[in-house]
Amino acid sequence: MSDLKTVGTNVPRKDAMEKVTGAAEFIEDRYMGPMLFAKMKKSTVAHGRILNIKTEKAEKHPGVKAVLTGKDYPNMIGLYLIDRTFLAVDKVRFWGEPVAVVAATSEKAAAEAVDLIEVEYEELPGVFDPREGIKPDAPVIHENLGDYEIVPIFYPKPGTNIANHFKIRKGDIEKGFDQADHVLEKEYYVPQMQHVPIETHKAAVQWSPDGKLTVWSTAQSPNVVRQLLAKSLDIPMHKIRVISSYIGGGFGCKAGASIEGLLVPIAQKYPGHIIRIVFDREEDMQGTFTRQALFSKLRTGYTKDGKITALQYEMVWDGGAYTEYGVNIVRAAGYSSTGAYEIPNVKTDSYCVYTNNSIGGPVRGFGMCEMQWGIERQIEEIAKELEMDPLEVRLKNGMKPGSTTASGQVVHDVDYEKCLKVVADKIGWGKKENGKEGKLRGKGIAGLVKCPAQPSNAASSAIIRINEDGTAHVMIGATEMGQGMLTAISQIASEALHIPVDKIDIKVPDTDFTPYEWQSVGSRITYTCGTSVKRAAEDALGQIYLIAADLLEVPQEDLSYDGKKVYSTKDPDIKATIREIADSCKKCTGEGIAGPIIGRGSFVPTNMTNLDPETGQGNPGLFYCFGATGVEVEVDPETGVVEILQLASSIDAGKAVNPQLATAQLHGGTIMGLSTALYEEVRFDKGIMLNRNFTDYKIATFDNVPHIDSFIIETPETNGPYGARGIGEQPMIGVAPAIANAVSDALGVEFNSFPLTPEKVWRALKDKK
Amino acid sequence: MSNKITIKFTVNGDSEEREAVVGETLLKFIRDELNLTGTKSGCEIGECGACTVLLDGKPVNSCLVLAVELDGKDLLTIEGLSKNGELDRLQQAFIDHAAFQCGYCTPGMIMAARSLLERNPNPNDEEINKALSGNLCRCGAYQEIRDAVKDSAKK
Amino acid sequence: MLSFDYIKCTGLSEAVDILAKEEQAYPYAGGTDLMVGMRGGKFAPKKLVDVKDLPELNVFEESDQGIIIGAAITLNQIACDDSIVKNIPILAEGSHSVGGYTIRNRATLAGNICNASPAADTAAPLYTLEALINIVGPDGNRSLPVEEFFTGPGQTVLKKGELVQSIVIPKPFPAGKGVYSKASRTGSVDLSTVGVAVQNWGKHVKIAVGAVAATPVRAFSVEKAINEKGEKSSAEAAKLVHNDIAPITDIRGSREYRYHMVEVLVRRGLEQTMGV
Repeated sequence: MSDLKTVGTNVPRKDAMEKVTGAAEFIEDRYMGPMLFAKMKKSTVAHGRILNIKTEKAEKHPGVKAVLTGKDYPNMIGLYLIDRTFLAVDKVRFWGEPVAVVAATSEKAAAEAVDLIEVEYEELPGVFDPREGIKPDAPVIHENLGDYEIVPIFYPKPGTNIANHFKIRKGDIEKGFDQADHVLEKEYYVPQMQHVPIETHKAAVQWSPDGKLTVWSTAQSPNVVRQLLAKSLDIPMHKIRVISSYIGGGFGCKAGASIEGLLVPIAQKYPGHIIRIVFDREEDMQGTFTRQALFSKLRTGYTKDGKITALQYEMVWDGGAYTEYGVNIVRAAGYSSTGAYEIPNVKTDSYCVYTNNSIGGPVRGFGMCEMQWGIERQIEEIAKELEMDPLEVRLKNGMKPGSTTASGQVVHDVDYEKCLKVVADKIGWGKKENGKEGKLRGKGIAGLVKCPAQPSNAASSAIIRINEDGTAHVMIGATEMGQGMLTAISQIASEALHIPVDKIDIKVPDTDFTPYEWQSVGSRITYTCGTSVKRAAEDALGQIYLIAADLLEVPQEDLSYDGKKVYSTKDPDIKATIREIADSCKKCTGEGIAGPIIGRGSFVPTNMTNLDPETGQGNPGLFYCFGATGVEVEVDPETGVVEILQLASSIDAGKAVNPQLATAQLHGGTIMGLSTALYEEVRFDKGIMLNRNFTDYKIATFDNVPHIDSFIIETPETNGPYGARGIGEQPMIGVAPAIANAVSDALGVEFNSFPLTPEKVWRALKDKK
Repeated sequence: MSNKITIKFTVNGDSEEREAVVGETLLKFIRDELNLTGTKSGCEIGECGACTVLLDGKPVNSCLVLAVELDGKDLLTIEGLSKNGELDRLQQAFIDHAAFQCGYCTPGMIMAARSLLERNPNPNDEEINKALSGNLCRCGAYQEIRDAVKDSAKK
Repeated sequence: MLSFDYIKCTGLSEAVDILAKEEQAYPYAGGTDLMVGMRGGKFAPKKLVDVKDLPELNVFEESDQGIIIGAAITLNQIACDDSIVKNIPILAEGSHSVGGYTIRNRATLAGNICNASPAADTAAPLYTLEALINIVGPDGNRSLPVEEFFTGPGQTVLKKGELVQSIVIPKPFPAGKGVYSKASRTGSVDLSTVGVAVQNWGKHVKIAVGAVAATPVRAFSVEKAINEKGEKSSAEAAKLVHNDIAPITDIRGSREYRYHMVEVLVRRGLEQTMGV
């Protein structure tokens, strides 16, 4: 692998010029055509029956072309569980749920018309805490849960608010606790947070008179948008075209399909017009995915030597009003519920519970940040109980090649030990520092692991077209939301095709032209799309050799290719340029040989299986990516302000396709982790999101981010393209527990929840006294 | 039925005369009237900095400025930084240091950073932080941006 | 986007006239509070009177009277003005802690006090400097101490047609050190959870606190203990601030934390300025 030419080098980003000049087209930057602007009427109650909606005044307002309500449009949609409609039909289930949509010739007219719509609600008792929602006598939010179509790997309980109950039963939990010398049980709480990408959700649709639907969307996954709209609206897939632009931040918020369908009936009424909706910041925060809050109980049994023999995890997740996506987060957290540790006896119950809070959905980490918070905090407390070094306890229980996860999957290509040691070493683990001027210093570490949360048949594909001059087009279905996909994928293509990166063109998808990619989520694209592209390149190379063999009249096995010419290894003067090969024409007779070179590659996992419905045992992980975070803090005990003195982050990338961009991802995830550790919490009051703008939902700024020491570890992933695995989410997972562990070290208080705001830290100290 | 005022201004070095709707923000005017879509909207309340442009040489949140105020003033947007296809050295530094990911905050970020370098040709980390704290980057490219600004200053 | 008339005034009396006569007419300078308020439905102007270029509002000088800061002067101008940084740095500190750099290029000192948030970061420093607010209106000019300017959250003494013309920090300037300390959630661009201004005047101290009452308030109990009763311990003096404030619990902080933080910041402010 050491003679790689492109993979492993710092190629400048493919989208660099466009992004630094402002030329990069995001959805709202494209001029599309005659437009109608859509605005939503949103519910003012969190749980209620819609008694009536009066739209006459709105319909008559100047500029208004259409007003739609749910009863005109009761189509259902969902990724894993079809529990949602585009507009509320008979009842609303969260504050701000769209009950009507107006399309007008200007945004102003649409907004004015929305104010003219009158809605009467019969308010119903609301559920705002999943621990209440899970009780048998709780108000039922989805009365028809039993009728919803569901992917059969999820287990809802009709008649209740339980949208999914995922179980792990590994080994023998009773025996495991019997073997323990000590037992520790703690409760943890992780509140909702929100991705707040700087670009909010936006979509536009156009219906042509011959029945073709064109959709522009900020969605991370155009193929899933197409698939879900096709099913929901009963339109064949070849009549739906989804066009991507650069995405101004995803982090999971733009996964699945959420807003596009809202506009389709209006588009059908006005063929040729483009109907566009832009979510403002407040709508984006309360009306799109939020990370599910988690109430958990974690009980571990461990020996006096620090070996964990039993782990029992009960997780009650706030799924929000609709759990079409959230059911899978609950499952993923369940099957990874031992975190980076091998524990022989595991009993996990992970519940996705409906509430009347905002819709829970995918956020970077997909349940790992919330679930591993408890694990990494409890390991720390185990170490304290035993007066052992927390690093030692982690190393003792940490996964190694051949270890099994909570679901019994065997992990390979692991060096968790290295991830931990490198960050511990960097922050000077074992050396206690003194704080200045009454402040207290502490150090903390935490480990992490994640596999891509995807169905076992989530597929990927790629097409490579070689142009007549030897340049190439790489066509893929993955989207670019900053993670560097365009660059990394073209580097893989370049390596496999033997042609320079600047001879490769790659774009964001258009489903009429680009081949299938399940979703750009889960830190999977480098691995899945990368493998497809590598296979497509190899397929193209095969065709090149076939043509060259005929052209040069040399057996294929004697041929080699250096990116510019194919030549005989027996006599290098017998050669053909890529141009001649692309011309595909016998020199003397002029007969054609094979035709243009089009490489195809596809990938579907072959190492994943379903999970047993009772025990959760099976292989849900395409690959496992480990890492660790190390933090040194200085805390002002009077104010509770936490200053980060050192922040070290490691991730095992297998092979960093582009080390500079891999480091950028490592930094990005670490910073988002830091931000959630210290500042971020969505605040609800009976379903009303109180802090739905940047004034009161604070995220890390330049001032808050210290220098980050990053370590890219490369334990090759055997089946990954050039040994690579995906790393986009992982760096976030360890930060909150590492910071809490460090603050705990400094102050001698424990934290069961974050963010560690100054007030919360102060309170923890105050309550200790 | 909107109230319009004729305004005269220069934008990216060119003189212009246009009608601005009273009540429209400078951000909307830049994007929809001048068709300069590099400047972005992220929050509309002056908290995220994605809409940062230079007005008479000073960085402002264009979402909080009225379009009609552009009258008699000089506007510089991201599109005005590169001349004759040549990148400004700060833009090149952003590329060299991968100082952006999704790119959505980038135009505003570059304008704010450009202005910083005009006021302070050799800023340290603290000074960069203070100048750019109003520009949010959710992708977390802060460290790379600091490196790009310092690198650009060195030349 | 609301509909209103925009008038760029050429004279101060014209501005006053419009503000006095027209319904829902607002003066418009930096707009950083007004524009946000308009979007959120807090203000619904029918006329915006742009006063930014009026010469009377752009006065910014040190005279025998003191430092005169016109209503159109921005927070960035104040934060880096040599005279202010040298003579009354507490005001530079307060101004600098509002928003981020880009906001401060537009936001004005006058706007910060006219918006009258109890958390306004310039208010507490102005209290400790005995600032005077010069108001111009249809009935002429009037002047009052800044402490009389605020009447409640978002409310001032300004009558219809009146606007702030300038803020004056009178001479003599304080002889000793002054500090403005702000507690916030992030320590970066953020509203104050509490804000404390402590100004040593040589023979006495003045202390003002923001975000802990309906308006910014002076910490008279603390001042009295130090100035009149000779209290030498910062810690003991600071405890008395509880008598001067009435914080509430809101999204930025709880009542208890605010009580606690004000005491801490008063004590630290005294330690830094009085060496007490």
